[in-house]
Formats: sequence, C-alpha cells, structure tokens
Amino acid sequence: MTGWIEALGHFLGRSAETTGYGLVLLCRTILNLPHLFTRRRMRDCLNLIFTYTLGSFTVTAVVALFTGMILALNGGDSLASLGQENLIGRIVAISMIREMGPFMTALILTASLGSGIAAEIGTMKVSEEIDALEIMSISPVKFLVLPRLIALTLVTPVMTIFAAFIGILGASIVAANNFGVTWIAFSNDALENLQLGDVHIGLIKSVVFGITIATVGSTQGLLTRGGATGVGEAARRAVVITFLLVIILGYYLSWWYLS
Amino acid sequence: MIQLENVTKVLSGRTILSNLSVTIEEGETLVLLGRSGTGKSVTLRHIVGLMQPDSGRVEVLGKSLTETSTDQLAAVRSQVGYLFQDGALLNWLSIAENVALPLLETHKLAKSEVDQRVKDALREVELDQHGDKLPGEISGGMRKRAGLARALVSHPKIVLHDEPTSGLDPISSSIINKLVNRLKTTGITQVLVTHDMNSAFEVADRIALLHEGQIHALENVDDFRDSADPAVRQFLEGQISGPLSRGLLDGSSND
Ligand SMILES: Nc1ncnc2c1ncn2[C@@H]1O[C@H](COP(=O)(O)OP(=O)(O)OP(=O)(O)O)[C@@H](O)[C@H]1O
Ligand SMILES: [Mg+2]
Repeated sequence: MTGWIEALGHFLGRSAETTGYGLVLLCRTILNLPHLFTRRRMRDCLNLIFTYTLGSFTVTAVVALFTGMILALNGGDSLASLGQENLIGRIVAISMIREMGPFMTALILTASLGSGIAAEIGTMKVSEEIDALEIMSISPVKFLVLPRLIALTLVTPVMTIFAAFIGILGASIVAANNFGVTWIAFSNDALENLQLGDVHIGLIKSVVFGITIATVGSTQGLLTRGGATGVGEAARRAVVITFLLVIILGYYLSWWYLS
Repeated sequence: MIQLENVTKVLSGRTILSNLSVTIEEGETLVLLGRSGTGKSVTLRHIVGLMQPDSGRVEVLGKSLTETSTDQLAAVRSQVGYLFQDGALLNWLSIAENVALPLLETHKLAKSEVDQRVKDALREVELDQHGDKLPGEISGGMRKRAGLARALVSHPKIVLHDEPTSGLDPISSSIINKLVNRLKTTGITQVLVTHDMNSAFEVADRIALLHEGQIHALENVDDFRDSADPAVRQFLEGQISGPLSRGLLDGSSND
C-alpha cells in the first residue's frame, strides 16, 4: 500500500519537474530568438524545414485524403437521409479547417517528428554530445532547440493548410461520386459558410501544436538518461505527452473560439 | 593550474568522490588510473564544470568553478579541450565540420583561418584524408581521434582526455601517445584517464590512482612503477584479490 502511494508521489513529483523544465526551456528558447538571425542558425532552420516537410508530406496527404473522404461519406449519408446532401461542403470544410486539419496534422507530426526530435536529442545526450556542446560553450538551446522549435512552428501550419486542402478535395470527390453533389455546388456551399475566423482558429491551433510538439520532444530528449533504453523511453514519452497536450489544448482553444 | 580541494560527490545515493584533493601543475601531464566505476570520468567532469561538487572546491586557471557565473565558466571552458570516451561528434556534420564547430560557433575567426586550423588539427591526428566523411562512416578509433582534433582546434591551455586509447589498435594508440607527448612540449597541461598501462607510462609525468573516492597514490612514473603500495601493486599486476577489490568486486560501471 505505502509502496503504491510512494510510486504515485514519485510520479507526480517527476511530472511537475518535467513540466517546469519544459516551460523554462520554452522561455529560454524564446529569449534566444535573436540568435536565429545568424547565417548558421538560418541554414540549420531551413534544412530542418525541408527535412520535416519532406518527411511528413506523404503520410499527411494520405491520412488527410481519407479523413476527408470518411467525413464526407458519413456526413453525406446522414444528410442524404434528410435530403440535405448539398450541405456536405460546409460541414466538411468547417470541420477540416477548424478541428480535424490541425488535430490530425499534429498527431502525424508528433508521431513522426516529435518522437524523432526526442530520440535525436536523447541520443546526443546519452552519447555525451550535449556535454561536448556545453564544454565548447555552445548552448544546446540555441544550437538544437531553437531551430527545431522554429522549424516546427512554421511547418505545422503549412502542413495543416495542406492537410485541410487535401481533405476537402477528398470529400468533394466522395460528394460528387456517392451523393451527386457537383464540385461547384460543393465548393460554393463550403466557401459561403466558411468564415475567416475558422481559418484563424485553425492556424492558431496549428501554431500552438507545433510549439508543443517541439518543446515536448526537446524536453524529453534533454532529460534522457540511461543509454538506448532511455532514448526509446524518451521518444515514447514525447509522443504520449504531446498527444495529451494536443487534445487538451485543442479543446480549450475551440472553447475559447466559440465563446 | 587545476586544483581540486576536498571534493565530495554523491551520485544516485553512492559516494563517488569523497574528500578528493589533487593539484595539477601547469605544463604537467597527469595520468589518472583506477578501476571501472571509481569516478575517473566524474573527476574530469568536475574540472570543466559539467558537474558541481556537493562540497569542496574546484579551481581551474586561477578561477573557482564552484561559485562562478556562466560567463566565467565559459571563459574557463574556452581554454579547455575535452576528449570524450566515444568522441561525442555530431553525426550530421562531417568530420571537418565537427572539428570546425567550436571555432565557428564561439570564436570570431576569418574563414581562411578556420580552414587552416581545421586542416592542421586533422593532420595532427592523421585524419586529413577523412575530413569529408560523416562520423558514421569512420571507425570508432578514428572518431576518437576526430574528437581529439576538435578538442585541440581552439588551442586550449588544458586538455582532458577520457580514455584516449581504449579500443584503439596499437598503431592508433601510438599516434595518440605521440601526440600527447608532442602537446607536452608546447606546455599544455593534460589530465589523461586511461586503462592502458603502456600509454600511461609513455606519456605521464605523474600517475595517480583513484580508489574509494580519493587519490590513493600519486607518484612520478618511476616511483609509481616501483611502488610497494599494495593497491598500486594490485592494479599494476592485475591481481584479482587485494585492497582494490574491497566493496567493488562487481567492478560495475555505467559506460
Ligand atoms: N550522471 C550520473 N548519475 C548517476 N550516477 C553516475 C553519473 N555519472 C556517473 N555515475 C556513477 O558514478 C560512478 C563513476 O562513474 P565514472 O564514469 O566516473 O567511472 P569511471 O571511473 O570513468 O569508469 P570507466 O573506467 O568505466 O569509464 C559509476 O558508478 C557511475 O554509475
Ligand atoms: Mg569513464
């Protein structure tokens, strides 16, 4: 019994410690922002943007396409029973842009890039590369975390827009094929009902998610200890924590937008 | 030059260093011996402020590392080269880029100066043919030599070597030993952790044996070789039982 309580206490203490570390890391990274405007950091950042985009492009496209098609299929089915299938456009567009696009993209990027950042920095930690940087007076925050944070903060919204676009495209195909809603009718309905605010909240979410993915990945990476097992553990933890944060933050951002 | 005074360090509930004191003079090459897990790497980490002692003082180049600002620490570190046990190179940069890293990130040097220094450092460790390769494309011994080139490229006053010759073939070891000896002639202060007794006797001015968190013996090379101290004898002769086996029979270590 006491062992159980002790373990819980240990877990809570650790979580608080990690959260604190993550928040401090985020602040320190933001304070280091001026360092981004050097040729070397810019180059690192552009390389990462390129790698991240390339690395998540295909899977995002496929997932988005099918998500859009599934949304259209289910939504269309319900709407058709009411004779309202012409409303498919707005339903798909709004949900893709406001909710599904940012959420889905965040999950994909967490699994592919967030875990990668944790594993990469974690490996550097256990193989003493982070220590080596510190001895050379190269701040790991400036050198590693800053370019990753910036790259993800830029890549996530771009991929989100791309995902929303592909999703809507997939939905329009299903709408035309399965429910006889023409492409023109679909896009008119979508565009007439979509508000600029929907796009804004989608983008705000995606930026917040991008920052979350990079911060959690870097935090877990820098806190890695204990060899290869530690690296695997860091990657796993980064994914789980980011998933939870994305869901929770996503909810509160939607709530804030709608109220 | 380097002074550790009554340094005590507890890690994961185990006292690794207990009241350790040692002074390393300018221009001296001190070899630090000891069984695996006795805290040799931990001692080196204290000398560059990667670890802070729980109690005691560490002074390097006349500056205390125990009560210091980040700037002061950076100033000391810029004079210290550190060779890690596995080289600790960044795997996405080529060998030459790795070696150039400290110059490009923290020194304001002209590109031609950087290139020249990198070339010299690589030649010194006989890697001048391999500058374009990635760390993953060369052997462990070569990575270690590249790590040494990186430690030397900013012309440090102090070089700390963590097992520079472990896992190296005898020829690569000789390259390293020769280099350490050449550095000695330039007046650089060096601390070298090793398990390689040949290398220790070849490069050392003085040899220290770390045991139970303290410097158990500290002698110049000849005295150390002929020492009658039972712990030193056990270490030199590799006997299984003796004072060094006490409480450390598993000889466990994390690295
Ligand atoms: N960051 C750390 N946290 C907890 N324990 C540590 C840490 N670093 C080292 N230790 C422990 O301190 C002890 C000494 O480690 P150290 O790396 O200094 O040994 P060493 O003398 O260099 O051994 P080797 O010859 O195997 O390299 C080991 O038992 C190790 O487990
Ligand atoms: Mg060691």
